[in-house]
Amino acid sequence: MTPTEDAPSSDSPSFDAPSSAEAPPVDPAESLALIARERANLGRELTPDPRLMYWPWGFAWLVGFTLFFLRFGPDGRVFVDLPAWLPLLTLTLLFITAGIVTGIAGGRVSRRITGPSNRQSLMYGLSWSIAFTAFSVVFAQFSSVLPEAQAGLLWAGGMVALTGALHMAGGAIWDDRNLFLLGAWTSVINIVGVLVGPGWHSLIVAVAGGGGMLVAGLIGWLRLR
Amino acid sequence: MTDHSEPGVTELDPVIHAQARLRVVSALSVLRDDDRISFPRLQESLRMTAGNLSVHLRKLEDAGYVEVTKTHHGRTPATLVRLTRRGRLAFDDYTAALRALLDPQGGS
Repeated sequence: MTPTEDAPSSDSPSFDAPSSAEAPPVDPAESLALIARERANLGRELTPDPRLMYWPWGFAWLVGFTLFFLRFGPDGRVFVDLPAWLPLLTLTLLFITAGIVTGIAGGRVSRRITGPSNRQSLMYGLSWSIAFTAFSVVFAQFSSVLPEAQAGLLWAGGMVALTGALHMAGGAIWDDRNLFLLGAWTSVINIVGVLVGPGWHSLIVAVAGGGGMLVAGLIGWLRLR
Repeated sequence: MTDHSEPGVTELDPVIHAQARLRVVSALSVLRDDDRISFPRLQESLRMTAGNLSVHLRKLEDAGYVEVTKTHHGRTPATLVRLTRRGRLAFDDYTAALRALLDPQGGS
């Protein structure tokens, strides 16, 4: 299927002409295959690499919340005596890194298109920033009056719930079942974690939540290849 | 394409029946309505020469299937391409006709 030079245009379309740029493909099945191939080609270029979109976040959740679990375990247990500031600092730095990676990967693809899709992506991106700011402001009002473990659960549980909701919304916007399932999965394991309580919540979010994102990235990548 | 008894090859749209133009329209059909793609990006995806792609785009434009707009991204001029509603309909009809050719018994 290499592009060839322009051949003189044939007057009546038919399937028995020799293959060239002006001539039709040899048969309908081949034409359909050609259509599918070109659609897949451009589709790939217009989809950000799922590994870059999911894996940095999955890694951040896995490592960050594991540190929380080890330092702030169930019933106040300390499995590994890390400095108390380390888990939050690690999680924050990993989130910033993931945000930069995703922003660059998504932005690069988004710029390939001009039109309503740009606006849509921008609005979705802003939804994340604004919603997380709003939740932070709300939680900050309460964390000082709650015991440390409950305050931690409020922050982590609330933010994970918000992530799940935004992923489900993203799935609805882009008709992306993979993304919707990830959001639903994240929401469910978050509910379980919150009900089981502080400490366990970190472990569940690290393994099932972070793991879910790693799997989502893998599935998305395998589908695109 | 309302007559779906015996859809013969003569019913196939001659504008996109040419392989190169079918490839162009197929790629553009991935874009959502009103989204545009830059000429070099489309060229890269189709692996065509710039001259070759220009020729086919002009024919598609003449048929009203694509819209080519010249604009500026900052200081650099950019050529953007989109599939028109008419082009999308033609593409949908064409693929439906191909499927009907493959499976004359099945619905169009």
